[in-house]
Amino acid sequence: MPFSFELKSANLCYKNVDVLTNINLSIGAGEHVALLGKSGAGKSTLLHALYQQQRSYCALVPQNVALVEALNVFHNVFMGRLNQYNTFYNLLNLFWPQQDKLNDIQQLVRPLGLHDLLFSRTGELSGGQKQRVAIARALYQNNQVLLGDEPISALDTTQARHIMKILHDQHDTVILAMHDVEMALCFANRIIGIKNGSIVIDQPATSVSLADLQFLYES
Amino acid sequence: MAEPIVSLTALYPRSRTVKISLLFIVVAVVCAFFSDVEITTLYPWQEMSRLAHGLITPDFSDFRVIVNALMQTIAFAFLGVSLGAVFGFLLSLVFDYRLVHMTCAILRSVHELFWALIFLQFFGLHPLTGVLAIAIPFSAICAKVYAEIFEEADTAPYNALPGGSRRVVSFFYTRLPMVWQHIKTYTSYRLECGLRTSAVLGFIGLPTLGFYLEVFFKQGLYSQAAALLLTFYLLIATMRWWLRPQLLLVYLILSIYMLLPAAVDIDMANVKRFFTEDIVPYPLRALDDGTTTVFATIQNFFHWFYELFWLQAFDGIVQTLLLTQVSLVLSGMLALILFPLITRHFQGTIGRGLGHGFLVILRSTPEYLLAYIFLQLWGPSMLPAMIALMLHNGAIIGHLCGRYANEIVLPNNSIKGVNLFAWEIVPRIYPQFLAFLFYRWEIIFRETAILGMLGLYTLGFYVDSAFEEIRYDRAILLIAITAIINIGIDSLSRRIRQYLRLTTTVQCGQ
Amino acid sequence: MYFLKLLLFCFMLSVQVNSYAKDFVFTAIPDQDETKLQQRFDKVAAYLSEQLGVPVKYVPVKSYAAAVTAFSNNQVQLAWFGGLSGIKARDRVKGSTALAQGVEDKKFVTYLIANKRTGIPLSDKLPDSIKGKVFTFGSKGSTSGRLMPEYYVRNHFGEAPKNIFSRVGFSGDHNRTIALVESGAYEVGAVNYEVWENAVKLGKVDTNKVSVIWKTPEYPDYQWSVRGDVDATWGSGFVSKIQQALLAMDAPDLLAAFPRSGFITASNSDYEPIKNVAKEIGLID
Repeated sequence: MPFSFELKSANLCYKNVDVLTNINLSIGAGEHVALLGKSGAGKSTLLHALYQQQRSYCALVPQNVALVEALNVFHNVFMGRLNQYNTFYNLLNLFWPQQDKLNDIQQLVRPLGLHDLLFSRTGELSGGQKQRVAIARALYQNNQVLLGDEPISALDTTQARHIMKILHDQHDTVILAMHDVEMALCFANRIIGIKNGSIVIDQPATSVSLADLQFLYES
Repeated sequence: MAEPIVSLTALYPRSRTVKISLLFIVVAVVCAFFSDVEITTLYPWQEMSRLAHGLITPDFSDFRVIVNALMQTIAFAFLGVSLGAVFGFLLSLVFDYRLVHMTCAILRSVHELFWALIFLQFFGLHPLTGVLAIAIPFSAICAKVYAEIFEEADTAPYNALPGGSRRVVSFFYTRLPMVWQHIKTYTSYRLECGLRTSAVLGFIGLPTLGFYLEVFFKQGLYSQAAALLLTFYLLIATMRWWLRPQLLLVYLILSIYMLLPAAVDIDMANVKRFFTEDIVPYPLRALDDGTTTVFATIQNFFHWFYELFWLQAFDGIVQTLLLTQVSLVLSGMLALILFPLITRHFQGTIGRGLGHGFLVILRSTPEYLLAYIFLQLWGPSMLPAMIALMLHNGAIIGHLCGRYANEIVLPNNSIKGVNLFAWEIVPRIYPQFLAFLFYRWEIIFRETAILGMLGLYTLGFYVDSAFEEIRYDRAILLIAITAIINIGIDSLSRRIRQYLRLTTTVQCGQ
Repeated sequence: MYFLKLLLFCFMLSVQVNSYAKDFVFTAIPDQDETKLQQRFDKVAAYLSEQLGVPVKYVPVKSYAAAVTAFSNNQVQLAWFGGLSGIKARDRVKGSTALAQGVEDKKFVTYLIANKRTGIPLSDKLPDSIKGKVFTFGSKGSTSGRLMPEYYVRNHFGEAPKNIFSRVGFSGDHNRTIALVESGAYEVGAVNYEVWENAVKLGKVDTNKVSVIWKTPEYPDYQWSVRGDVDATWGSGFVSKIQQALLAMDAPDLLAAFPRSGFITASNSDYEPIKNVAKEIGLID
């Protein structure tokens, strides 16, 4: 089904304060977008607005990982498909995980290095592990668009690269807020830079260099 | 007269907390001035030394009585709290509806003992009387606290769910597991409260701890009473070892089995009569008989209400408020004295252990029981009630403050003792302390009203008299008046907390 | 079996269960030491059981009001009431009647007692010196411990007890009143004369510490009252059978439970004076 994200002269606010003003933006299927900017520039706000707009097409990796820490890795990942099964089946899996689902998820989390932790409570995991669980949950959702808010911030470079590849390979459309500019240039095909409440760069990744983006981080 | 060089008020700009504290202290002093505080017994020391002797020589020989009293106490508490928790949980899910939270506020504002007295009139000593007396107010309290817990829970995981997830499923996967631990902790605290309540229900005739305690105290069998009390403390102090989720079902079945023998048949005619005749104000009943005109009936009704209000309720309200305000401030003062006993900044491990033991004993003893004991010793005045309320509530707030103070990390360790207390610790915990104290305000009011049943002239005295005179219309009206004031205090307390910008985690002594 | 009981319990929680054939049950107001009630009245239950030819059970209650509610809720069919509690109970149950009273109950009396430290002597007239003392009644619903003494005190001083005494308490029962005045917790108290005399006889009172200071005029007090509908359940003529059994009670150990020297017939109208007094001081509507 064709879809696109459209913002026309939009004012976006965070906690009732306008963060981004007069935003015009269109993102279509098949694009791999990186959102860049200083922290506090409004990347999360923009991402959130996009998520609200097309929620049913999007899998989300939130910045604060948003796991249910009292539940284990399996349950947290399984949550990615709560909208796909009936209520009874979902509740059954909560109290009595089904073998086929266990197998599916075991397969899914193996490349993320979580296969030994399937039954660990997520509250007991490290920051990096939690982030990978949140990524697994989004992957399990198997949706058309992946929205990620600094999804690799807690991972080391090798791991991060590996996971970025998985994310981009498995999704048609990807929109990620990034702090690692190099990584962004490496995987995205469109770069959007935010500064002082507006979009200051919106170009194909091939036409910008590291140095071109430096000004985003200067005050 | 020379101007002072530095005006004191300028030097010491009063914060809102200080102003409110001073206001409450002034009110309490004025109230104390008007309240009747005196030891009226001619030989108080004689009885007190007998009691002290009894307490240090507990007599466990009547073991069957002790076991039975405790089992009954546990059974009532268990069933009451379980029902309360289940219904409270269901209500908390729809707590946003005005109707629900208003109803809960009303149910909560009536003390467990009043509920018990009401049910006693038509169920008699049927177990339902005790179980419902606990379950009804507890479900209202649980509903409120569970709802607060839900509200405080992080909504991020819920938002991260794929669009189109069912509400029920989202609830079970995200919201419920996130609050479960909190709810469990609070519910086990509620069980501790339930045990205290259940014990006190004995004073109105149910076969729980209070029943035997009253008998023993009346006859001066202090050693037997001490044995009962000590086992009760032990029961509460060891709760975290015997209260296991796996055993809940076993306990529940045992409780039902314990109470079954007393579960005789209920005659619904009595229930119907209570609600359709007995609680209808006396003058209005004449309308059914057709013996008077409507006008005369209305006139009689107003006369009836006027007399009841001015001769009983008004005096009861004044006395209850006087006692409440004094006890509130006394409790707060005691709490500030007690909390260092369990605080790591002031005590070593052993000292804190002893402090905890002491506070557990004080707070596990229901204030009703404490007041009963002091009344026996010192005779009828407000003094015994004040001391009882102060000890019980002071210990609870002290316990909460101590826990809070233990989390404080101090930048420098050089100062000690009183200076540490006054300059470093108290200023840091004071807002939290006030929050705890104001949370307990309505509880202290409710307790104060109830203590009237022991013979003080607070609202409970008139309620008890009305029940004794079999005038349920009056009893219900007086209970309603108590409830209304209680709701008023609750909302005033909330406003003061907002004014002081006191935010506090839920369940602090609710 | 337990499972059945459990089911039954759940059943009772949800629906009404009608009364079915059961024991004939009686109670008595807890006018004395509660712990002794069971042993006082179990013998009486056995006696009535034998006389009436049906199982008779005694159930203790915690308060005067509980005795009245048990009677009006049909949880007991017969009760040993005080004057005032009997009136309240019979008011609530149509067709119920007073059957018998103790020989002493025709001319019952309340004693005012005082701790010796007050120095108030025995006198023929209500002593003015009780004004301002710490005073205790018995139970709030008692005839001899509350209603009649309050009536005479009000009449004498023209004021409510609250304004006459420095403090007014309700001890709960007559033994307790004696104990509290003896210990000095209260200075003056009102007590059922039978309970007082009995306690003195048994040596349970230290008369050096507490003594009688005034005796009220005579009034009718305790009586056995029965519900009007017992004939319908236990067969016609059951009421008079009960009355006969009560009047015929002459074994000293049975009578000691009350304590009375014997029983004579009584009727509802015997208690009109009590009803009027109760109305006058506002204890019943």
